[in-house]
Amino acid sequence: MTTPTWGEPTGPLTSAEFHAATQAIMTNIEQVIEGKSATVRLAVAVLLAEGHLLIEDVPGVGKTKLAKALARSIDCSVRRIQFTPDLLPSDVTGVSVYNQETRDFEFKPGAVFANLVVGDEINRASPKTQSALLECMEERQVTVDGTTYELQAPFMVVATQNPIEMEGTYPLPEAQRDRFTARIAMGYPDPRAELAMLSGHGDHDPLNDLRAVADAAMVRRLIETARAVHAADAVQQYAIALVTATREAPEIRLGASPRSTLQLIRTAKAVAALEGRDYVLPDDLQALAVPVLAHRIIPTADAQLNRRTTDTIVSEIVHRLPIPHANRNPYDTRAAGGGTQYESRGR
Amino acid sequence: MTGRRRLGLVAAGATLLSAAPLATIFDKWTWLLQVILTVAMIAGAGVLTRTLRFPSWAQALGMIVAMLVTLTWIFPSGHELLVPTPATIAHFGELIQQAGEDTRSYAVPVPDRDGLLFVAALGIGVVAIVVDLLTAVFRRPALAGLPMLAIYSIPVAVYLDSVPVTPFIVGACGYLWLLVADNVDRVRRFGRRFTGDGRDVDVWEPSPLAAAGRRLGVVGVLVAVLLPLAVPTVSGGLLSQLTQNGPGIGGGGGGGNGKINLFASLSGQLSQNTTVTLLKVSTNEKNPFYLRFGVADQLTAEGFGNQPPNGNTLNRGSLPDPRREGTTNQTTFQQFHADVEVTDGLRQSLAPLYSYPVGISDLAGTWAYDGNQQVLYSNRSTTNKQKYSIDYLRPQYTPDELRTALALGRDDPIRRAYTAVPDNAYVNEQVAKLTRGKSTDYDKVRAIYDSFSKKYGFSYSLSTQSTGNLSEIEAFLKNKVGYCQQYAAAMAWMVRAAGIPARVAFGFTRGTPEDGDTYVITNRNAHAWTEVYLQGFGWVPFDATPSVSVTGASRPDWAPDVDRTTAPTATAPTAAAPGVSSSASAAPNQRPDKAGDLNDSSALGTVTTDEDNWTGLLIFGLIATLIALLLVPALRRVLLRRQRHAATAGPPPAVIDPSTPGPAGTVTGITVTTETAQAREDAHAAWDELIDTMVDFQIAVDPTETPRLTAQRLIRETVLTDQPATAAELLGTAEERARYARQPMQGAELAAALRQVRSGMSRSANTRVRLRAALLPPSIMLSWRLGLAEAGTRAMEWSGRFGEWVTRFNPRRLVNRAR
Repeated sequence: MTTPTWGEPTGPLTSAEFHAATQAIMTNIEQVIEGKSATVRLAVAVLLAEGHLLIEDVPGVGKTKLAKALARSIDCSVRRIQFTPDLLPSDVTGVSVYNQETRDFEFKPGAVFANLVVGDEINRASPKTQSALLECMEERQVTVDGTTYELQAPFMVVATQNPIEMEGTYPLPEAQRDRFTARIAMGYPDPRAELAMLSGHGDHDPLNDLRAVADAAMVRRLIETARAVHAADAVQQYAIALVTATREAPEIRLGASPRSTLQLIRTAKAVAALEGRDYVLPDDLQALAVPVLAHRIIPTADAQLNRRTTDTIVSEIVHRLPIPHANRNPYDTRAAGGGTQYESRGR
Repeated sequence: MTGRRRLGLVAAGATLLSAAPLATIFDKWTWLLQVILTVAMIAGAGVLTRTLRFPSWAQALGMIVAMLVTLTWIFPSGHELLVPTPATIAHFGELIQQAGEDTRSYAVPVPDRDGLLFVAALGIGVVAIVVDLLTAVFRRPALAGLPMLAIYSIPVAVYLDSVPVTPFIVGACGYLWLLVADNVDRVRRFGRRFTGDGRDVDVWEPSPLAAAGRRLGVVGVLVAVLLPLAVPTVSGGLLSQLTQNGPGIGGGGGGGNGKINLFASLSGQLSQNTTVTLLKVSTNEKNPFYLRFGVADQLTAEGFGNQPPNGNTLNRGSLPDPRREGTTNQTTFQQFHADVEVTDGLRQSLAPLYSYPVGISDLAGTWAYDGNQQVLYSNRSTTNKQKYSIDYLRPQYTPDELRTALALGRDDPIRRAYTAVPDNAYVNEQVAKLTRGKSTDYDKVRAIYDSFSKKYGFSYSLSTQSTGNLSEIEAFLKNKVGYCQQYAAAMAWMVRAAGIPARVAFGFTRGTPEDGDTYVITNRNAHAWTEVYLQGFGWVPFDATPSVSVTGASRPDWAPDVDRTTAPTATAPTAAAPGVSSSASAAPNQRPDKAGDLNDSSALGTVTTDEDNWTGLLIFGLIATLIALLLVPALRRVLLRRQRHAATAGPPPAVIDPSTPGPAGTVTGITVTTETAQAREDAHAAWDELIDTMVDFQIAVDPTETPRLTAQRLIRETVLTDQPATAAELLGTAEERARYARQPMQGAELAAALRQVRSGMSRSANTRVRLRAALLPPSIMLSWRLGLAEAGTRAMEWSGRFGEWVTRFNPRRLVNRAR
């Protein structure tokens, strides 16, 4: 467990330092996860956005490996919780134990007292255990027996879950899902990456060779730098427009929360910083809309019957909303509420 | 029958209706048959090619072929068998040429001349093809109004006075029919039509719901016809009538002493708005010279004035015979006979005559003849509705004969009487310059006469006002714009200043031929010219006014048309034989009269060509207007691009590396300086231009796309490489940074980048797209269309609100409530 020390260099990094640090982390992770640079980048972006990551995919595609690789790459405290049906909330948060010597209750911190918490198969735990994470994820603190314990910074929960297997699982409650900044799917590797994996993983686990390339202090500085990225008014309006559209879409029963707007902008800032920009583009928001928004919304029964996934609904919204523009595009009648769409081809 | 084919037939019908104005041009109805045949053939070809699903160009070609074949049938050259051959085309060329001559020879209404009929059929045929293409192929029937309007503009150009209203209404009905048919077809394609009460309406049955539209149409036509009638215009109506100083035709009785103001009378007649037939004359002379009735032979400070004529009454003593007079003993004469019939339009106490009458009969009232002025006058009677016949002598002479005329001695009474001039330095100087080195009187006169030409800068305009006093004549000599009386007076003055007797004659030009040897003379033929006294030949007429501007002008050998290219200029070859004295008058050698009128310069712009071929001018003007109209969008696009380039291509400020500076975090706030604001504006301007260019080249523009994505798609879709690709990316980056970054990109060569992208896009586009982008830029058309639609929506909203407001006062509302 590292604690912030006095004399630690603070303040935002320069462009080159930032680039070097983040690149080092990503390269490190990619030694383990082959051919998934976009996913890795998104995971790092969530880290820099002070968010939590939900990795959702079928078994065996490297969900846990990604979480562990991320944890290993940063020299900080890491805890891993294997969620099982009999896991109790106190196992997660910690428990007060009576100490014979001091004749007093003593707090034994739970698994969340770390910089990085890897929650494996989170949907296998009962809802009451899952709920133990609610406070710590949003407020970064744990309250046990009336005492509130602050968690360390940075704090990030990386949870994995299996969307296919339904038996013995408890779907995450809406409140819990809303606390995850982004949900990403690993997806199968392409044949070349799989081949590389075979040769690389044949004799030993490369995860063991991973060395930390950054520490908690560096991550804090990276976070600070990413926060300083500029999001223009137009971009913020666009983010609001995207989120509002999910609330107004007829296929959606529950739209995205205001918290999601905040997290969308934060993640976009982190992505922009990772790409070496000091300003957010609508492109960032477009790319992030599905990972950040899709897992929060609940489609209507009709949409579910029509096999409409939240991913497609969100990406349709992205393709429908006009880009914000300081001087309005003269051909864009949609923004003005007109119903005619511009056709470039004549009849 | 599909709507398209049906529309083609409607287009043909509408074209025929719009040809109605030709009825006012032609005397008979032959043209109508030929035009109907031509249009029917064209429409048939159109329907046939459309049925066989030919492409648009083939349809146009088919209709053109149909027109040519029809024209070949109607106007065969005799060398072909139904199919046009080169000989036919040559024949057509001759017909067109003939039509050009006819337009100069005949006044409206014109008889059935082959050339004119051919031009009519050809013109209407072309209009029919254009209307058909616009309506059925391009589905833009509104544009078909332009060629239809072209037909209507022919009577507008030909008639100076009011144009008949009826043909316009007929033509407008045709146009409305076309629009209605197109819209009904459009609605029909849209789906079922039904009435307000839910009943289905048959396909071509007018919809009850369209009643408002029909009412609007009728009101529109009525307003269009009535409004111009109510408004006074420059060329017709109150304004010009009030500004005329002359009463028109020498009023009833016009001064028993013959002291009417001939100049005022002339200008009044010429500037009248209506054309009134004054007299008809039939003569057995082949090409008669002008009729004359008055002379102004006194030059005072007020200009030329006329002395009261003095002579014997007709009853006592016969007319003088010039063949026996000493003043004209050098001249040979030929005798002719003419019958004059005066209408009630001409009531004056001076009777129109040909020069040198030797016998006048059947003239009612007491008339006297002044042998010197050659004027027939009366103190009590007028020419109103008189019919009389004249036997007259036409002098025949040539320039060489005239050159033999000796100068009059200084003390000769004629010279003393008719060379009195006011002292004017400018005129004297001009005359001295012109007559330098000329030995004979004739050569001097010719030098002065020749100077009234285009070459010397003279031009004809009826719009100048003149009472003929000296200062005005002098002004005319300086600014060189005027009409016949100014030309005549100015020349007479100059000839007098050269020491040769001269006077101004008044009368009528030849008029319009009708039935062979009869000429119809209207107030438009009123004219003035100069007569010069040459010893041995008498008073010889010289008409200095440009012949192209004068209806029925005539040019004799000794005073040829100076504006003709073949005309000899100021220097006349000379060999002055010592003259014998004789006298004569006019014996001209003429060209056919022309139709139309002389003050048409105001209707058609300036008359500039030697041949005032108004048809050619008209067609040229119409085409020029059409082209100008078509070029407006392109010009607007070019201007817009210029504007944006100018905004973009400012002096590059301190060059900053266009690559992104990265998340420096050193810039915490947005600093707004004039440079950055300018850079933002520049980037926006460049981006707007790029978007417009994409629209021009028909590349889809998606408002949900970010600049970066748009640039990438542009590169992908138009296969840009190297420089243009880099330039497109640069434009995208500049725009995205201008929109979203703290600091816009500065110092980038956006204008150059734009040019590169544009050329790259134009390389990958096909010719049609390129042409369209240049001539009818879709971006401009689209923004106009959107603007129009927006204005329309606003107008609809407004009218809806107005309607609601009006409904409050509708008594029916109360009735409904009572129920």
